[in-house]
Amino acid sequence: MTAAGFDVRHIDLAAADGDTRGGRALSIFWWKDLPLGMRASLHDELPYGTPQLRQLAAEYAAEQLEARSIRLGAPLRATYEGWPKPALSLAAALEAENLVDSLEEFATVSSASAQDISVVICTRDRGPALADCLFSVAGQRSAPGEVVVVDNSRDGNAKAVCGQFPDVRYVHEPRAGLSVARNAGIKAARGEIVAFTDDDVELHPSWTAEIARAFADRNVEALTGLVLPARLDTAAQCCFQFAMGGFGTTFVPLTFERRFFEETRPSGAHVWKIGAGANMAFRRSLFERIGLFDERLGAGAAGCSEDSELWYRLLATGGACLYEPRAVVFHHHRSDWPGLRRQIRAYMKGHVAALVAQYDNFGDRGNIVRICKQLPVYFLTTFVKALFEGPPGRLGILATEVQGWLAGLQFLLRFGWRKRRTPMLIPPPVAEGVAR
Amino acid sequence: MSYKLVEIELSEPLATISLSPQQNGVGVVARWRGRLIGFEMIELPAGSAVTVERLNSLADERFARRILVAKLEEELRKRQPVKEAVLPSLSIAICTKDRAQRLSRLLGSLDRVRTEPTFRSVEIIVVDNASVDATTRDAVAGFRDVRYVFEPKAGLDFARNAALHAAKADIIAYLDDDVVVDRNWLEGLAKACGDNPGAGGFTGLVLPFRLDTEAQILFERRGGFGRGFARREFHNARFENPLHPVGSGVLGAGCNMAFDRALLIELGGFDEALDTGAPLPGGGDLDIFYRVLRSGRPMIYEPEYAVYHEHRETIPQLRRQYWTWGLGMMAFLVKSYRTDDEMRARHRAMVRWWFFDQFKALARAASRLRGDEMRFGLAELCGGIYGLVGEYDRSRARIQAIRERNP
Repeated sequence: MTAAGFDVRHIDLAAADGDTRGGRALSIFWWKDLPLGMRASLHDELPYGTPQLRQLAAEYAAEQLEARSIRLGAPLRATYEGWPKPALSLAAALEAENLVDSLEEFATVSSASAQDISVVICTRDRGPALADCLFSVAGQRSAPGEVVVVDNSRDGNAKAVCGQFPDVRYVHEPRAGLSVARNAGIKAARGEIVAFTDDDVELHPSWTAEIARAFADRNVEALTGLVLPARLDTAAQCCFQFAMGGFGTTFVPLTFERRFFEETRPSGAHVWKIGAGANMAFRRSLFERIGLFDERLGAGAAGCSEDSELWYRLLATGGACLYEPRAVVFHHHRSDWPGLRRQIRAYMKGHVAALVAQYDNFGDRGNIVRICKQLPVYFLTTFVKALFEGPPGRLGILATEVQGWLAGLQFLLRFGWRKRRTPMLIPPPVAEGVAR
Repeated sequence: MSYKLVEIELSEPLATISLSPQQNGVGVVARWRGRLIGFEMIELPAGSAVTVERLNSLADERFARRILVAKLEEELRKRQPVKEAVLPSLSIAICTKDRAQRLSRLLGSLDRVRTEPTFRSVEIIVVDNASVDATTRDAVAGFRDVRYVFEPKAGLDFARNAALHAAKADIIAYLDDDVVVDRNWLEGLAKACGDNPGAGGFTGLVLPFRLDTEAQILFERRGGFGRGFARREFHNARFENPLHPVGSGVLGAGCNMAFDRALLIELGGFDEALDTGAPLPGGGDLDIFYRVLRSGRPMIYEPEYAVYHEHRETIPQLRRQYWTWGLGMMAFLVKSYRTDDEMRARHRAMVRWWFFDQFKALARAASRLRGDEMRFGLAELCGGIYGLVGEYDRSRARIQAIRERNP
């Protein structure tokens, strides 16, 4: 661990004994296999004492019960901010008894069969990371029906790595672009459910089982899950996790549906709050309904946000996406500053490109408001805040974001780019129901 | 403008709260099985009533979650093996000056909570801080088992230090004379002490004692002394706030705080140049919280260790209070800047942040055309400027003179 880093540690609050480790750490709290929350602490705040752990357990557990227990108002939908909208009533809270027992129930490990799931991993020139990822796939409690690795490198250099894993199907897609690769994966996959993860990710052993359980329990077409940091060894990784918010910090299940879409629509429907491409799954029928990933978007093309653009189409056409944090993956953030800057620039550029694509597809002006008003306001407020309050390094990242935004503006002007619509786009009648 | 202050018990059926024609709002203190769960204020047309439906929806939104948390805490506590800890002894110190009536009110409320054997022993010390007549002494004589100590040097921190040395117990709990303790105050403090044997100090919840005047309502609306209904733990550093522990105001307020007495003596007690009464009535609590945290011992905020504070009655008094907050804050920062070299960068950053924050609040008030808000903000800002330019030195000169007059 370098001086800049945080130790990532996992604490099971169901185990009675307290944590005795000091040092700086991001502590991720669990109740057995149920993720509850996380909290970063400096050397002086650690180790956590028994009363503090008990208090954290009580507060996290209350959040879980509110979001999971039907008697307490679950399931919860997402608000404008992407947080749960509480539905707890006084009467329900007064009646509730044996709360720890119900928590135990929700923490039971899923034993659902994952035979219907095709795991698709797109990779490009990252052999060692892919190997780690595939090891974690091989260690799943419920083995998935199939594992498809789409190699997006020019020379097919992932073939050797895949050869070490007998159950992996190898598909070579030399056309560059994450969307292209993901679409190739969808076409190659045979399962009813297509689950995506990335090559810089390691899966929690119950990942596939949790996805299977969620799709069995809930009638949704799409699912996203929790993306936790695998390591925080460098300043760049910490910056991404803490200053930029990482890949989200919500630990309760949420439904993103029409109301979320309508509430956030005036500023471009905040579909990026739904989840991350490193941990998402879809029913195959969804692709038949709304089409595949937009091949102009995604890493290797416009930048990223090909995932959120698909969620946009999903919600705009009346579908719903379930965020289920029990499906956990661990992401390796970029460890060096240049890598982080490239990533942030690509995020912002891709974000703008996706907004343009969404505007083209549905004619929703909110997307343009987001590009021309919301983002500049965000840059300005972040600038003032970073100037007075820090953290150090935030200004540099902000400059990169602005660069990405400027680079993204070209998509507004590129007429030829805008004319090309998503393949297999939804038929007009459905779109009509959405556009005003 | 006047609010009715009511207490509701959520485990029992709720009833309509009706207001008199003079009252145009309510402050609701909510309990669940006696435990404090929340406090909310609602503005209403004068003489109307808060219906059961309204109360229920308020409870759904604001109180229901905390009931779940409280239930879970109890269940989790039962799962853990109980360690028989040795109960510490407690000294309760009340510093007062010429306010016999309020003192009697506080002593009366303490009498009611003293019945439970929560500590090994409980003593009450009243430090009479240079009162002009004998009414304070007479008021104390009306209660049993209360020690009376006279401190001729006028100044709250002189009185607090006198109490520190007169006390004999392990823990010393300070109360101002303008508060009344909650019925769970002693139990709450005992729980905090028992759970956190290594803590250097404790702070507690401060709720309004009454909301009869506009000033009292405004003060509470602007945040008051409330620090929430969840337990909090403070250490020498805090991930969420790079300036911590310099912004020690988040810990609580000086009207309700307790410390490990041995630690306080080791630290040299309170800084007598802060909290000197009329000229500089603040900063002493910030300073002692800061020094306890800097000594490496944690401090605990415990909401069940609660008091009710009688807020300033009139708008000019309230404006003056905000002025003293700015003054006290800066006097504390100047003092810490001189004595704690390691943290200097944070002190400087805190001064920058404080002024930035004050200007931000002023701009917000101005844009909303809120005259009172602006006047309070300006008062605090001016207090801050006056405090920054030599108030600590002026105060030191003043207390030196007081010491010389009272050898």
